[in-house]
Amino acid sequence: MKKALILAAALTLVPTFVAAESFENAYLQARAMYGQGAVFEWNGKQYAAVHEEEVEADIAATAENAQMMVDKAKAKNKEVAELGFEWKLTRGIIKDAESALTAGEYRKALDLAAQAKYHARMGIKQYHYAQSSWQLSVPQ
Amino acid sequence: MKIIKTMAFGVGLVLSAQISQAADSGFTLETVNPEADRVALQNYFKKRFPDAELNDYVNGIYAVDSNSREQWEEIEEFPPYEFAVEEGEALFNTTFANGKGYADCFENGGIGIRQNFPYWSKEEGTVKTLEMEINECREANGEKVLKWSKGDIAKVSAYMAWTSRDQVIDIKLPEDDAGAMAAYLDGKKFFYAKRGQLNLSCANCHVQGANIRIRADLPSPQLGHTSHFPVFRSKWGELGTLHRRYSGCHKDSRSHPLKPQTETFRNLEYFQSYMNNGLAINGPGARK
Ligand code: HEC
Repeated sequence: MKKALILAAALTLVPTFVAAESFENAYLQARAMYGQGAVFEWNGKQYAAVHEEEVEADIAATAENAQMMVDKAKAKNKEVAELGFEWKLTRGIIKDAESALTAGEYRKALDLAAQAKYHARMGIKQYHYAQSSWQLSVPQ
Repeated sequence: MKIIKTMAFGVGLVLSAQISQAADSGFTLETVNPEADRVALQNYFKKRFPDAELNDYVNGIYAVDSNSREQWEEIEEFPPYEFAVEEGEALFNTTFANGKGYADCFENGGIGIRQNFPYWSKEEGTVKTLEMEINECREANGEKVLKWSKGDIAKVSAYMAWTSRDQVIDIKLPEDDAGAMAAYLDGKKFFYAKRGQLNLSCANCHVQGANIRIRADLPSPQLGHTSHFPVFRSKWGELGTLHRRYSGCHKDSRSHPLKPQTETFRNLEYFQSYMNNGLAINGPGARK
């Protein structure tokens, strides 16, 4: 929990675009290799590899909070669908989150909704990246 | 002297910048150049697969992978789509309740016209596919529309392709119509943009990844992709339309797939079919 807070702060503090990029690389590498919460060092400081959504979902496991997280995931997924970059599993994950919510499993619902929202956010990122990069693989 | 050298260098830079600009096949509505795209794609595959014949690309992966080609040639000896073509012919010739038929809706009575689809309709401001017009024909004559991906629509489409075998694909792109260019560009962009949880573009598999093993599969070169649809796939055990294939492949990038005949898929078909101009219709086809 404490580590997650450190990271959330760090993300907003990173000064320039270039630096932000290499921070992101370090972050993604740690996450890919050692999983959620992996601690990595960047520019002499320690960070935990926790997604924005995981920080968001790290709240009291109540019905209201779970519902709020599900709503956020739905809204984000709607946004990415409109851009044409919706991922395959996201709707199913949101459904599972809703079932968990109905069953009173609020922690599970929060975590699933966070995952769905992460998918949607990545799809939006992918859309923006595609706008400037799709040309790269066109044979000339 | 030193000054002159510096200047010459400067001019050289400007020139080379212009050259590299003129050589690209266009990524915006102002610069997009479908003919340059088509030629560049052919040249790309000529380099990748120097032994493959251009006209053979309509045979998909079998144009470049001799191992699977033998199996496929055996399949083609007793084509699995044969019955479907016969059923398609019967459906095509069955008159509607109002006494009219498919032949009344198409040029040349619907025979030998596959190579002209899809086309840009200026009046409607959209790309029209053959399947779309099959259903429009039904609707205009008071018949129920058919489902898009398989079944009767694929059979009718297969029969129409069959009557068009060996006709040369001839997709028109009216240069004075910005809408047509925009549709083409949209299809091109869709094909080359990475998407889905696997972050893969169509091109990753069907251009750069053509004939490179992905798990148990070898993706075909995109050149020739549309010529033989609808297709009888052993995996499906039946015929399916091009857009059924598009949905499946779209999903393979772990994207939520678009539905058949949505505008984006029609634009994609427009782009892909234009790439095949000059190749021959050979539908329906058989694939794994
Ligand atoms: C993960 C790799 C992969 C991606 C991404 C992919 N495909 Fe495919 N595709 C395949 C494979 C494998 C086959 C089956 C072998 C073959 O090409 O016939 C196939 C088959 C096809 C076929 C049928 C070819 C034929 O000869 O019948 C078409 C058309 C096609 N893909 C289009 C697309 C389009 C359009 C996209 C992007 C939306 C796409 N594919 C994305 C791997 C991929």
